[in-house]
This record gives sequence, structure tokens and C-alpha cells, in this order.
Amino acid sequence: MTERPSVLVPIRVLEGESIPDGVPKLLADAHVVLLGYHVIPEQTAPGQARMQFEERATARMDELEALFEEAGATVGRRLVFTHQAQKTINRLSHEEDCLAVLIPDTVAEMDDVLVAVRGTVGIDRLTRIVDGVFAGTDATVTLYHVAREGESEADAQTLLDGLADRLTDNGFDDDRIQTRIEREQDPVDAIIDATVDFDALVMGESDPTLSTFVFGLPADQVAEQFLGPVFVVQRERPESDEEQAE
Amino acid sequence: MSDPATGENVAGERPEPEPEGVTDETTVQGDDVELERTIGLVGGLAIGIGTMIGAGIFVFPGLAAEEAGLAATLSFGIGGVIALLVALPTSELATAMPRSGGGYYFISRSMGTSYGAIVGLGLWLGLVFASAFYLVGLGHYIVAVLAEVGVVLTGLPVGPHVILGLVFGAGLTALSVGGTENTAKLQNGIVVILLAVLTGFLTYGVLDAAGVFGRQSVPQEFFSQGQLPVLSTAALVFTSYLGFAQVATVAGEIKQPSRNLPLAMVGSVIVVTLFYVVTIFVATSSFGADRLGTFGETAMVEVARDLLGLPGAVMILIAGLLATFSSANASILSASRSVYALSRDALLPRWASKINLKYGTPHIALGMAGGPILVLVATDQVEILAEVASFLHLVMYALICVALLVLRRRDPPWYDPSFRIPGYPAVPVLGALASAGLIAFMNPASIVIGIAVMGGSYLWYRYYATDVKLKGDV
Repeated sequence: MTERPSVLVPIRVLEGESIPDGVPKLLADAHVVLLGYHVIPEQTAPGQARMQFEERATARMDELEALFEEAGATVGRRLVFTHQAQKTINRLSHEEDCLAVLIPDTVAEMDDVLVAVRGTVGIDRLTRIVDGVFAGTDATVTLYHVAREGESEADAQTLLDGLADRLTDNGFDDDRIQTRIEREQDPVDAIIDATVDFDALVMGESDPTLSTFVFGLPADQVAEQFLGPVFVVQRERPESDEEQAE
Repeated sequence: MSDPATGENVAGERPEPEPEGVTDETTVQGDDVELERTIGLVGGLAIGIGTMIGAGIFVFPGLAAEEAGLAATLSFGIGGVIALLVALPTSELATAMPRSGGGYYFISRSMGTSYGAIVGLGLWLGLVFASAFYLVGLGHYIVAVLAEVGVVLTGLPVGPHVILGLVFGAGLTALSVGGTENTAKLQNGIVVILLAVLTGFLTYGVLDAAGVFGRQSVPQEFFSQGQLPVLSTAALVFTSYLGFAQVATVAGEIKQPSRNLPLAMVGSVIVVTLFYVVTIFVATSSFGADRLGTFGETAMVEVARDLLGLPGAVMILIAGLLATFSSANASILSASRSVYALSRDALLPRWASKINLKYGTPHIALGMAGGPILVLVATDQVEILAEVASFLHLVMYALICVALLVLRRRDPPWYDPSFRIPGYPAVPVLGALASAGLIAFMNPASIVIGIAVMGGSYLWYRYYATDVKLKGDV
């Protein structure tokens, strides 16, 4: 088997958010970076929350860590008190070099996985996550692409076949790979519609653009609609990440 | 710090352990718990400028002109220089110890618990006095707005501005306890709007004073009230320069602290000093200091009316509302942070910084800010409130400068600031002398109240936390 892909699993550790059923099993072959975080309002200093809640949070983290370890994953853990959850998740995914962030949700049977492929950018990381997490399971992965205007069927097929080849080169079972191409105006809507038949979803993190400020990140929009775990594959970040604009 | 805080207070509580380390993005505490830093440079500047600009521009011009005439311009300049002399040492200390509590933290770690307690409790109460002062100012602005639309409140037992100040003081405290809105974003927005409005207004005012629009400005003598009032006025208006220290109170939450803390503190002092000096110049040129003095707290509205007519008056009224509101809000939050820092170090009971589970906010610490603020607003003593706030801050500023001298001289191994001030040792020595010296020019009543607060703080320390040792290995 290939090296374990690192997956960040962010949990609001003090708000009773737990690990949904099936998720530890899903990540059995991964290196889980368990991020317990607690969001506090600006009126409160993070250290103030730590004084009061550290003990409870640590006990909870112990329980969660054990869940993943029992399922077979290796686990690293971080506990963070923060004013901005998204900043913390981004920072840790970068620091821990995580291939993907999991937006956890219940999964009963892991039979069908949808892998949304946007383009060739980041396809290496996509390959590593699909291979690392699903190679050792019986799940069928469907490589899925929403063709843009002016993009030919052949181009789209080449894109998906390229990914399929990478997977089989790594030893992924060829019979468990399918491809599917769709044409629709909005990729996010198309993905949401497509997920109905699937148990889990793997998709890329989009570059923050104007629309993401209005509608939120596509991954978050999809996760809201889809009743299953979503792996959000992280962009490769430049080594020296300049301070992000406010 | 190699020598950890030890001892326990009367209630048997110990100071929380010092953090293991500080990164650009976090404070690492104890067993791998991280505290995220989320305030950037813009946020830091907004805290500094937002806290300061309310008082200097929208409350003091009339009062200062009355006391010092045109030379009030010089008073604001002196205040700015003193603030800068202190902001530089504060920046150096903050980059070496970027933790919540600001000046209190630096002093308690370098000079010991007794100084720390006096400064820490003084900082909390100083912010309480400052907030009360801003709220009375806010009350005056609301009264002026109501007068503009023809509503005059009469038949009240106290001035209507006091009632309004009380209402807003209680409202702001309640909002801080129960509000989950993103107040920092709001604060940043308010500061940007204020700076834009003021820049436009002052540019017009300066051109007008220079005779560009063909009007004669009022000729006047610079030291119309003599030279001594320049210093007493500087002492009075120093409340307009307290905000940079509030940046240090949230030092534990500033991203890239070694870069952002000095920039935010020094930057906000320079920005507001420029605005203050130009504002006083424009205000006194348009009316003459004597007439300006008769307009009291909302004198700037009359200046704007004179320059730009009704739209100008409305613009400055709105700006004044926003500015005094944001100053009061920022000070209440800082006061609550100070209570947290003291409670963390066992100088106040641990329950004082307790967080309620419903809103996740420190309701007791906020109440310990809001409660006394309301009592002080009710006194309606604008000048005393401002001076006591300044007094308590100036004591802290002087000791911050001393703390820098102590640390530089002893040079303990843990003291490793990434920003080192130019002009050592002249800057901290002058900063300490000027801060202490300015106190001498205050009202006797303010000095007496300030000393009483310090004395009370010391007695509290002796009673409650005499065994607590906070001093680092110096």
C-alpha cells in the first residue's frame, strides 16, 4: 500500500459534535489529523476559554482519538481555541501538510464514491487521496467532470482517463473505476445533483473568488446539500504563505 | 520565562502557567493547546485609532480652546510626542512578550507583583474612567442630534446627555455579553469611514484657513491664555492618546506580533496626532479660540456648520456619534480583557473571567467594566473622568518605560524582543519623565482620585494576593 494520506478532521470539540458513524472506518488507511477547535466570540480572549474548557476538551479529544485508532488509522491531534474557525482549519491543513479536509457526515455502506475532477491542476493530490483512502476498500469510484463551454467530450475523457491511469498505475483495481462526464451550466449544482447516488464525495477546494465571498466556498455549499462525508482536497500552498488579506 | 509565576491568593488560586511558546499565528499553551491569533495589522490599527480618535476630535476641541487658546494645538502636539515616547518602548516590550494584558503584563513580569497589581487594577479602572468619559461625550452628541431635528429634552432631573450616556453604557455592556455579531469588522468599517470624513473635512478647513476661499480667518494671539495652560491642557487632552496601549492589551491575539504590534501602536499614535493637530488648528482658525470654547463638547459641529453649512454639521454629528461610540465600545472590551489578565494571574478571583455557556462571553468581567462605568457616567464630570483615566494610564506608561530600562540593563536570557527601539536610553528615560511630569499639571481633584485608586489597588494586592509571585527571572 502507498503511504497514508494525511486528512484533517475538524471537530467542534465542545459543542457536542461527534464523529459520525462510519467515519473512523472510512479513514482506517489514512493518517488522521484530528483538529479539536472551539470558536469563541471576539469579546472573549482565547486564553480565557482555555482556562475554563481545556480539561473538558482534552478528555473529549482522548475519546475521539481512540475511535480513529481502534479503526486502524494513525492519529495526530491539535486543540485550538480560535475566533475564526476557517483561519484555523486552513492553517492546520497547511502546517500538517494535509491532502484533504474531511467535512464529516454519517456513512453506512461505503459502496460508491464520487470524485469530482475540475482540471489537471492538483490532480496529483487528488490521486493520492483517492488511492490512499479507497484502494483498500471495496468501493467503486466514479471520476466525474463537468465540461465547460467549448470543452470537447474528448478533452474531458482524456482528463478522466489520465486520472484513472494514475490510479491503476498505483495498483488501484481497474474494475472499481468508472468515469462520467456531464454538461451543465453550473458545476456546483451539477455536483450536488450527481451526489444523490453516492455515499461519499471527493472534490477540490476552489480558489477564493468573488462568488465564494457571496455564496461561500463551493465545497461548503455542496456539503450542506449532500448527506455524506466530503473530502475537500487542498490546494498546494506556496512555501512562504504571505499573510492573507483580511 | 524561566522563573514561572508561583504562589497563591487568599482563595487558594494560582497564576496560570506561562505559555510554552509564541508563533506568528498562535500562542502555544501547556500540553499542546493552541490559541489562534486572529487580529491583523488593519485590526490592530483600528483598535488603536478607533479608541483614540473619538475623544481628541469630537469632545476636546472646545474644552481645550477655552483653556489654552490657539496654543491648544501645541497641547495636542505635546500629548502626541509623549504618546510616541511611550509607544516605542511599549512596542519593544510587546514583541518580547506578546500576551494579553499589555502594560500590566510587562510590568508585573519585570518589576514584580506589587507594581503589577497597581498598574493592572489601575488599567482596568483607568479604562472604566475612559469609557465613562466617552459615553458622556456620546450623550452630548445625541442631544445635539436631537436638537438638530427639533427635539429638546427638558424636565429631567439630570442633564439629558447623562441619561443617554447611561442608556448607551448599559446597552453596550449588554451587547458585549449577548452579541455574537462580528463587532471587529464593524469597528474597522467605522474607523475607515471616520478617517475618510475627517480627511475631507479637514482638507477643506485648512484651505479655508489659508484664505483660499477668500474668507478672513480670525486673527489671534498664539498664547492667548498664557503658556502654563498649554501644559495643563496637554494633561487634560491626553485621554485622546490612550488607545495605543489597548493594542497591547490584545497582544496575545495579534498575528505576526513582531511586525504588527509596533506598526499598529506607533502607526496609530502618528495618525491620530496629525488629525488632532490639524483639527484644532482648523477649529480655532474658523472661530477664534474664545468663541470655540463657548460651544463645549460638541464645538466641532459648530465649526462644520460654519465651514460647510447644515450638511457639514450633520456629517460631523454622525461622525461624532460613531467615534464616541466606537471609543466607548473598544474601552469596555479592553477593560474586560484587563480583568481576564488579572484573574489569570490570581490577582482577581478566577470566577471574574468566567465565560457563560450560552453566549461564550465573559459576562462577569464585562459587568465589572460596565457597572462602574454607569456610576461614573452619572457623575457627569467630563474633565475629571478624562484626567483620572489619563492619570492611571500615565502611571502605567512611566512604569512601562522603567520596565524597559530594567530589562535592557539586566538582559535576562528570555528577553528577546524582535523590535528594538532606536534612541535607547534617551527615549524611555524621556518617556518616563514626561509621563510622570504631565500628571503634575492635572486638577488636584483628579490627582487625589488617581492616588486613591492606586492606594486601593496596593491594599487589595496586600490583602488578596500578597504571596503571588509574577516576576520573571530578571
